[in-house]
Amino acid sequence: MPKVSSKLAAAVKCSEEFNADACMHCGTCTAVCPMGYEILPRKLFRYVQVGLEDKVKENISSIYSCLLCGMCSENCPAEVNIPENIRFLRKYINENEFNLS
Amino acid sequence: MAQKRRIGVYVCYCGGNISDYVNVEEVAEAVRNDPNVIVSKTHMFTCSDAAQQEIIDEIQAEKLDGLVIASCSPKLHMFTFRGMSKRADLNQYQYVHVNLREQCSWVHTNDKTGATKKGISMVRAGIAKCVLTVPLNAIRIETKPRVLVVGAGVSGMRAAISLADMGLAVFLIEREAEVGGWALQTGKMGPEAQEGTDVVAKLLARINQHENIMLHTQAEVIGKSGNIGDFNVSVRLPGDESLSLNVGAIVVTTGFEPYTPEPDEFGWNAPGVIPLKDFRQMLAETDGSLVYNGKPVRDVAFIYCVGSRQSKSESCTEPNTYCSRYCCMATTYTATLLHDLEKKTGQPVNQYHLYRDVRTYGALEPLYEKARTGGAIFLRWDPSDPPKVSTEAGQLTVKAKDHLLDGEELEIGADLVVLATGMRPRENATLNDVLKIPESKDGFYNEIHLKLRPVETMIDGVFIAGTAQGPKTLAESVASALAAVAKTGGLLMKGYVDLEPLIAKVDPDKCIWCGECLKACPYGAIEKINVGEKEIAFVIESMCKGAGPCVPVCPHDAIEIEGFRDDQIVAMIDASIKELEEK
Repeated sequence: MPKVSSKLAAAVKCSEEFNADACMHCGTCTAVCPMGYEILPRKLFRYVQVGLEDKVKENISSIYSCLLCGMCSENCPAEVNIPENIRFLRKYINENEFNLS
Repeated sequence: MAQKRRIGVYVCYCGGNISDYVNVEEVAEAVRNDPNVIVSKTHMFTCSDAAQQEIIDEIQAEKLDGLVIASCSPKLHMFTFRGMSKRADLNQYQYVHVNLREQCSWVHTNDKTGATKKGISMVRAGIAKCVLTVPLNAIRIETKPRVLVVGAGVSGMRAAISLADMGLAVFLIEREAEVGGWALQTGKMGPEAQEGTDVVAKLLARINQHENIMLHTQAEVIGKSGNIGDFNVSVRLPGDESLSLNVGAIVVTTGFEPYTPEPDEFGWNAPGVIPLKDFRQMLAETDGSLVYNGKPVRDVAFIYCVGSRQSKSESCTEPNTYCSRYCCMATTYTATLLHDLEKKTGQPVNQYHLYRDVRTYGALEPLYEKARTGGAIFLRWDPSDPPKVSTEAGQLTVKAKDHLLDGEELEIGADLVVLATGMRPRENATLNDVLKIPESKDGFYNEIHLKLRPVETMIDGVFIAGTAQGPKTLAESVASALAAVAKTGGLLMKGYVDLEPLIAKVDPDKCIWCGECLKACPYGAIEKINVGEKEIAFVIESMCKGAGPCVPVCPHDAIEIEGFRDDQIVAMIDASIKELEEK
């Protein structure tokens, strides 16, 4: 059973960059994504918000293959800055998983 | 046959509502030759000012002593025509209403001939009843300008102040040693961040200054007699003293009891599982980071709807099916208080809110928005699969499914599990025994009508307000307290109250006091009295509502309801089958 990690949840909460509060889980981001991600941004961001670090790590390849093209955020009805959130995640993973800093 | 009367019959078209299906002219014509009928007419709208004036003129010109109006439901216009009768100097209880619309035209739209025939029968019955009417006068009761308020929580205190401001003398009774009730334990209250203790202190200061309010703490109501406008109440004071009060009305604001979870409900009784009230106290008392049992608090799981919106099951045989109304607001507001604390201490606290539906209605919706955008995580749970709280090696764990992750189960390690417990009706055996206010199926005191008469009870002169009537937020409690104040003021400021004379009447010759009527009366309006050697039933006029359950149970036909007397009912039946008999 996936465990909630306080560390990720706290890091997300303290950051200025990551913000997916307004997400209403409509799925527009997935529909317009040129990469056809298997993990929907909305699901990925929910993992991040809830603090499921293991689940986030399982999807590292998706997070790094994002083009940051901005189609999703351009079309997001809740105006979530999705590429910015992806950048935050890459930074978090660089620091905590790959120990790059 | 009774003495010949001079009755006016007026049949209404109701602009087609009646006349489309009932031939009203035929109805008026059919009863015109009745020996007791002097006038029989129709009007397009009998309730119109012009028609009313015409009827008044005819009552006076023809010296009518009875009136039958066949129109809509008496619920709509009975008081209109009673007022009209009064203006025409005709006793208002000698006017009889026939419901020709709801009980005839509207229900027989497929059979115009039949509807007309039935209309004639109904009007004939109305005339027969009118023939046997006698002039009656309203029962007038002088009211005492004093009020008893039971329960000095915020609702009771607020009601007492407003009643006293009206110039009424107020006795405010509190069972506990301290006034204020649950508001004393709320800490900061949303959304304006007022301390509950400050609110109570301000109200208490006003009460202490007010010369019209007498406050008694550690006092309990132990007896009540009398009736609307004139109650005698006995109150037990500390030290076996007692107090006797004579008041015109009683306002009951006894509040609620917080729900106590069952031993295994959401991990209740495990260390770290606390009710919201205690968590709010922790927040109110802390001056830095939150610490519980010597451990800093980093993760908090809130579980909503504990003891509210339950359904019946094996483990919950007497469910609280209602929503407790305050918990969503109180819990989301607590989330914002935690956000503030985080900012102050720089130490993040992760919040997991496990809710069923967030009901932060009305102007409090922004609280939810604020809690959410501030970083609190909201996870919805389904009653068929509630979150499970367990403790392993001193670590509290909440397991819950997240709908937004297609039902994936999460394991949340929590330092504290806070249960947003709902409201229960307060245990008040002594008071319930004395006041006998009917209770709803949930166990709270019952109002007469949820929407239209929300603070009045079946017992005239006894009002309810605040959470004694059902779960409410503090703002709603105060609103209902002030509604009770308005009703109490409306009753007592006039100095008297007029009651309907259409009530039960005992024939002392027939009555042998068997007590059946006493058992049947839901209002306690019957008592036993002695007339000479004989024991008979006596109707307390001010308490009888004329409902009539006493009538059919009387084995000696010794009790009747004025306006619905046996001779009237028999005459009505005879009159309505007149046409049938002639055939």
